[in-house]
Amino acid sequence: MSARAQVQEALARLREAGAELRARSPAQVHAALADVLDAWRAPDSPWQAELVERLPACTGFSPETVRRGLVLGLAPYSGEALHALVRSELGGPEGLDPRAAASWRGFPVTATVLAGAIPLPAVTAVIAPLALRSPVLVKPSAHDPVTAPLLARALAERMPELGECVAIVDFRRDDAGALDALCEADCVVATGSDATVAAIGARVVSGTRRFVGHGHRFSLALIGDAATSGAEVLRAARGVALDVALWDQLGCLSPVAAYVLGDRRAAERFADALASALTALEHRMPRGRIEPEAAAAIARERAEAEMRAAAGEAVSLRAGPGTSWTVVCEAGAALRPAPLHRFVRVQAVGEAELAAALRGAPLAGVAACAAPGALLLECEASRVCAPGRLQTPPLAWPRGGLGVLTSLARRVSVEIDR
Amino acid sequence: MRPGERATCSGPDPARAELDARVLAWMREPLTEAGSADDARFDALARAVFAFQFAHCEPYRRFCTGRGCTPDTVEHWRAIPAVPAGAFKELALRSFPAAREAHVFRTSGTATERRGALHLDTLALYEASLLPSFRRGVLPELAPGARARLRILAPAPVEAPDSSLSHMFGVALAALGDAGSGFDVRGGAFDAAGLLAALERACAEGVPVALCGTAFAFVHLLDDLAGRGARLALPAGSRAMETGGFKGRSRELPRATLYGGIEDALGVPGEWIVNQYGMTELGSQFYDSVLCRPGEPRRKLGPPWVRVRVIDPETGEDAAPGALGVIRIHDLANTGSVAAIETADLGRTLAGGFEVVGREPGAEARGCSIAADEMLAP
Repeated sequence: MSARAQVQEALARLREAGAELRARSPAQVHAALADVLDAWRAPDSPWQAELVERLPACTGFSPETVRRGLVLGLAPYSGEALHALVRSELGGPEGLDPRAAASWRGFPVTATVLAGAIPLPAVTAVIAPLALRSPVLVKPSAHDPVTAPLLARALAERMPELGECVAIVDFRRDDAGALDALCEADCVVATGSDATVAAIGARVVSGTRRFVGHGHRFSLALIGDAATSGAEVLRAARGVALDVALWDQLGCLSPVAAYVLGDRRAAERFADALASALTALEHRMPRGRIEPEAAAAIARERAEAEMRAAAGEAVSLRAGPGTSWTVVCEAGAALRPAPLHRFVRVQAVGEAELAAALRGAPLAGVAACAAPGALLLECEASRVCAPGRLQTPPLAWPRGGLGVLTSLARRVSVEIDR
Repeated sequence: MRPGERATCSGPDPARAELDARVLAWMREPLTEAGSADDARFDALARAVFAFQFAHCEPYRRFCTGRGCTPDTVEHWRAIPAVPAGAFKELALRSFPAAREAHVFRTSGTATERRGALHLDTLALYEASLLPSFRRGVLPELAPGARARLRILAPAPVEAPDSSLSHMFGVALAALGDAGSGFDVRGGAFDAAGLLAALERACAEGVPVALCGTAFAFVHLLDDLAGRGARLALPAGSRAMETGGFKGRSRELPRATLYGGIEDALGVPGEWIVNQYGMTELGSQFYDSVLCRPGEPRRKLGPPWVRVRVIDPETGEDAAPGALGVIRIHDLANTGSVAAIETADLGRTLAGGFEVVGREPGAEARGCSIAADEMLAP
């Protein structure tokens, strides 16, 4: 059977399964989802153990990185957090009651295209539509074929109707027929580069269909001058190092640069502390394997930094063994290439220069320490937190400024007597 | 200076003049493939060039010093530090006084993009290096003193004075082209009608043609021929040489598709199509082996005054044979700038040559895992 036919068959099956799911009350569905989330975040969770066992082979992350990333990342994904999310965005399970004068309705079928190697986005991508009682078709990313099927299994064990409402269909990125079929879903969610998201969005026929795209975004750390000396600099640097090292800097919440609001010496102090913290993390949580292309990009950016220093620019380089981690300290707010995989730039900037550089930047998150509040208010990040917390977003994090649930639902107002 | 004219070979520095003379002498010998027989000669010259560049190119000296390398510590050319090709965008890497600058070649790019530049005080080595390689790669059977029909899908040097590719074609055409040879991009536009007439004349005369140009120019040609509904069967022995990529262009074709199109539209079989690998920052070029080593695996060959290494970026040492790594080139034609350059290209060694596998992805300022995913997805 072609991938296109598989997608079409899965969508048809999901539409039927959705009717069964909607026979369950929202509260029953939320209770089941909450149980699964609690089971996944439990300290002795067999689900986590399976992810730790299987993800390193396909993602390239070290087992230690997967283990720590899951412990920290799943911690906020509790059953209670789901109930709180439902209350805050929908006004509670009753917000899904079609008999109410105003209610939210999930789409008959949601399809989601995942990207990247980090497992946590797959969890919210599956849970959120189901919380709206919308069955979900998942196209997993090339690097993580594990998480979504495993979650489907966990859901089926807790509530068979939920398991029936998740379909995983993989196909090649260039299979236009399969992608067109996927875009026949009533709500399509796509994660990817801006070009990929735009290309998928263009395939979704407008009208009654919903398209939600999550394109390119990145994160930064903002370190105020007060946090560049003494114990503060060590604390801030340890936090930023953790944000960088978790998931090997491959998430949109991974900082690619740390802007230090201060002079060159302050930036150098922070760069020293960050290098020490990355060294320590490399021992406890080694960077995973990377492709030659990525290693080459790191080597090139290191050499170009050396060359700029040789030309008299205020640039310094700190680096771990091989390409394990890199800190380039330089001046100015300009965004330079980010090879990722634990490669951070520390840039000394003034507040006005930084404000100008950040205007309109597609930021996902900012890890801020002693940074001016005005600067944080001006940037477009949908998440601002302390260093060390970037990779542990709450379940309710409004990624891209969109509601987790409401972006996947329709608001219905009924103004007739019944 | 016009291509093909005799170039002044040295600056006022006697040490540089002596180096240039040694390199030029090598370039004027019959071309051999780089091999162990030349290693001692290459090593001696490379270290001498390094010592000169260390002394005369301040940014390079600082770069090397930062890595703990000086002419006193370098005992073999392999230990000479290579500058990243991107440095040519940031710095004027000259090993001669700026006042002696005679020519600048620039990389392609948009108006807003920073472009790399090769600063030269003499074109002598550049021109002496390019001809033997062009001849071996594109016209290996051409008898001494004979000329060939060259049609160039690129502007003439006078129209693109900062294009190293146009200059190279200008030199090749002046040295090896016959009376029916010429450039087919004029005034910034592809002269399709003129080229078609020239090709039809070659067909009528039964003279094989060497069509040379950028890959993108060939796409233009194929589109134009398709638009006219024209297909040609160029005389046996005709060949195509394509180079460069499609950067910033509107249409991109896989190489196999391009070669298939050339075969269909022009009658030039795939094994008669040569890819040239070159960079503005380098004085020498590399050509596919298909014409000079027919029947052997397609690979890039360079002249003996150039050494190519494939480097494992994790270790900075040679990658295992056949393993993917970064292409590093040590080109003795670059006496006036820096001889050792780390390219942004990935490749692998292959049967006495190498193959270029691709360019490192443009690493934008980005943080999403998406980039890696899209790069590597099947």
